[in-house]
Amino acid sequence: MNNKISLRAFAFILLLIIFIILPFVNDSRTLLILLTQIFIFGILAMSYDILLGYTGIVSFGHAMFFGIGAYTTAVMLKQMDHTLLIFVLSIVIGMVLAGFISFLVGLLTLRLKSHFFAMLTLAFSGLFLVLAEKWRSVTYGNDGFTFRAPDLFRDRMTFYFFVLASLVVIFLALYRFVNSPTGRILIAVRENEQRTKSLGFNTLHYKVIASVVAGIVASFAGSLYAVSLRFVNTSVMAMDITLDALLMTIIGGVGTLVGPLLGSAVIEYAQHALSGLARDYPIFERWIIFFGILYILAVIFFPKGIIGSLRLLFWKWRGRLKQRKTTGPLPQEKERFE
Amino acid sequence: MELLVNLIINGLATGMLIFLLAAGLTLIFGLMDVLNFAHGGLFVWGAYAGIFTYMLTESFIVGIIGAIVTGALLGLLTEKFIITPVYGNHIQQILITLGLMLVLQELIKVVFGPNGVAVKTPSYLAGSWEIGDVIIIKYRLFIIVIGFVIFGIFQYMLKRTKIGLIVRAGVQDKEMAQALGIHIKRVFLYVFMVGAALAALSGMLMAPYSGVIYAEMGMEYAILGFIVVVIGGMGSFSGSLLAAILVGLAGSFMAYYVPVLSLAVNMILMAIVLIFRPQGLFAMRKERTS
Repeated sequence: MNNKISLRAFAFILLLIIFIILPFVNDSRTLLILLTQIFIFGILAMSYDILLGYTGIVSFGHAMFFGIGAYTTAVMLKQMDHTLLIFVLSIVIGMVLAGFISFLVGLLTLRLKSHFFAMLTLAFSGLFLVLAEKWRSVTYGNDGFTFRAPDLFRDRMTFYFFVLASLVVIFLALYRFVNSPTGRILIAVRENEQRTKSLGFNTLHYKVIASVVAGIVASFAGSLYAVSLRFVNTSVMAMDITLDALLMTIIGGVGTLVGPLLGSAVIEYAQHALSGLARDYPIFERWIIFFGILYILAVIFFPKGIIGSLRLLFWKWRGRLKQRKTTGPLPQEKERFE
Repeated sequence: MELLVNLIINGLATGMLIFLLAAGLTLIFGLMDVLNFAHGGLFVWGAYAGIFTYMLTESFIVGIIGAIVTGALLGLLTEKFIITPVYGNHIQQILITLGLMLVLQELIKVVFGPNGVAVKTPSYLAGSWEIGDVIIIKYRLFIIVIGFVIFGIFQYMLKRTKIGLIVRAGVQDKEMAQALGIHIKRVFLYVFMVGAALAALSGMLMAPYSGVIYAEMGMEYAILGFIVVVIGGMGSFSGSLLAAILVGLAGSFMAYYVPVLSLAVNMILMAIVLIFRPQGLFAMRKERTS
């Protein structure tokens, strides 16, 4: 077991080194922007997976927290000053705000059953979208506004490394979180809430913790997103953001942290590639259809996503290998080997 | 006075359209325990299919029939291929119907083009009546009448006919109804088709009312439908009528007196109801706790 963990850590470190070296080998601007985008949405999708994959609750209001982060950073950078200090401060304020709101919303809504919760989160995020659209003096509504990023992040490369570092930190933090005693209880809630309750855990309490953690991380992703575009409008609060996070989590694999990252890479890359294809074949302008169909098929046939399905295959293969070592080839496979 | 009447008629007309949308949702939820997030997709397909039939044949009635047939057919496909595989798993249902919603909405853009379509009211329903100094727009009255007629028909069917008896039995206790020899899966299918057809009809009637149809309207009105279902109580047919009227009136009065809040009022209404009375205002009693 020990050997296996270090193998996994080795794989991660190798991947990390590749991503660190990559911009120096291939300094294409498109690639850099694409990777930055993948990392940011990877953070968002990981935070969504804390809810969907680890606690087993479907929220349709995740864009709300993403939007809070994006707007906090954008508004502060525009109205105060575009320094690094303000940027860091805005991230912290956005996270506190998102944490507070997700605490309140969670306390009100998480006692409800899944259907009602899904709808109520949809309603709340709708409310925030309307708020953002109406509060024009600050948000400029749907037109949005541009702002200056901190000087340090003018260089795409610096920003890329900043996002990559954030991704690693958040990944490790969330990894610690889901493997902590609290994280274990979240998984217990997912598996059987009634039984967890009978064991004496206040499940509402733990669900609120999950929603606060997810909200805070989503707000952080939003802050990064705003700086990466240097522009913000109400689309950061829109349903599409939640759908993206949902799609990435489902396709990558629910209940894992690597899954959403992989999902983010797949979706962002596919969006990038399909919008390129759209120039030649107009049908690809409607790439959402392909995602929608892919997503429906994934829910029916691969509810565990890419990582989950691979992991299942791996365990099956290992089990077979072990069995073979002790008892020889499995009975049904004997014929094939003869 | 005339302002009050106009606001009430506006609210009632909007309420009726939302009721038609919500009626299908609530029936499907009550019977099958499925919350159909794709209902707005059926709504918008009804609107587009109906309007295109109407434009081709130049008959509004044929357009309405076209919408209903489209809705029922889509309902059939949805139930068979989308709902059945995930039956009984709430989270998967929510996820998959939302995916279908996306696909339906985008398919509209592929089939009918991405731009909105302007819709004209048929000549015999256009215009208005003047009674004293109160102006009543014909089409709004038409919607209100249709809404009440459909409510009447369904209420009669549910309460007085054998079909209604089966549906009500299914809502109360699926397993028991099945044990008594009712092919509950088939009942599910029919109820789903009827619900989808109602959504499509609602979309079709909405088109001349709002004057323009576009692909995203499905999601917008579906959210209103959800709100109504929640306020009225999941699975309660008459509850959804009352809640729809409430939402319609609240919307029309707020739009006049406090326009800033007009979009938010429904969300606030739903949040309040859910927090203080999560089973809805007019919910039926159900023995099951799950």
